Amino acid sequence: MNPLSALRTLAYPALRAESLRPPTESAAPKAIPFSELEKLSPGILPGSVDAAKPTASGFENMVSGLVTEVAAKQAAAGESVNGLLSGQNTSLHQTMIAMEEASISFQLMVEVRNKLLESYQELMRMQI
Amino acid sequence: MINILTGIDSTSSALNAERIRMDVVSQNIANVNTTRGLNGKPYQRQQVVFEAALKDQLKAGGPPGSSATVVNVARIESANRAPRMIYQPGHADADKNGMVAMPNINIHEEMVDLMSSSRAYEANLNVVKTARSMALQTLSIGKR
Repeated sequence: MNPLSALRTLAYPALRAESLRPPTESAAPKAIPFSELEKLSPGILPGSVDAAKPTASGFENMVSGLVTEVAAKQAAAGESVNGLLSGQNTSLHQTMIAMEEASISFQLMVEVRNKLLESYQELMRMQI
Repeated sequence: MINILTGIDSTSSALNAERIRMDVVSQNIANVNTTRGLNGKPYQRQQVVFEAALKDQLKAGGPPGSSATVVNVARIESANRAPRMIYQPGHADADKNGMVAMPNINIHEEMVDLMSSSRAYEANLNVVKTARSMALQTLSIGKR
């Protein structure tokens, strides 16, 4: 009995994250508002646009990285449930912990999305 | 990899270890009257030996070299106490004096071990529960 087998699948999500990239990219449209903001601002603050340019790609990477990680956690949890139900060497608590981690990281992602949307709407409401 | 439930590696390994301990206790209770074990002699009481180990987790969040201390089952060994001798002349495994060597298991001891492993499991489950509720409460910072 290998006590850490399920944790190992949690610890190396990179391979699965690569295979999951196509579906998650469609789920990451949050960077669009930011690029729209970039288009809106040049007349007002030309200096800040140049400063925002390099960070925009970093920001995009950050958001899509978060989404990818959440998807990887969900995939790991699903794999753990499959392992448990098909009678492999997965134990109940490992499955529950994997599911809980997936759930909490999803909630974290939703919170981040809410904050982004909130700040975008706040900016849209701004009087110019 | 984002670390949502930190320190959960130790707890998970402890849950596993306690689970194995309970399995061993169940074996002992099941074989309390087995006079012919695998080696032909009376069954011998099995007991688990736990050991601490370091689990390498070089994660982005923690300092380099940080590692959780986890619990592993080092080995399951037989207790070498003398067998319980009971007088039962009609028994198939009785010697010429009518004494039968029963396994060196004390059922009360096994029940105490069972309770102890169940309580330890419960304590570790509470750690998981608390870690989860701490994470959820932290997420609720963002709510209005």
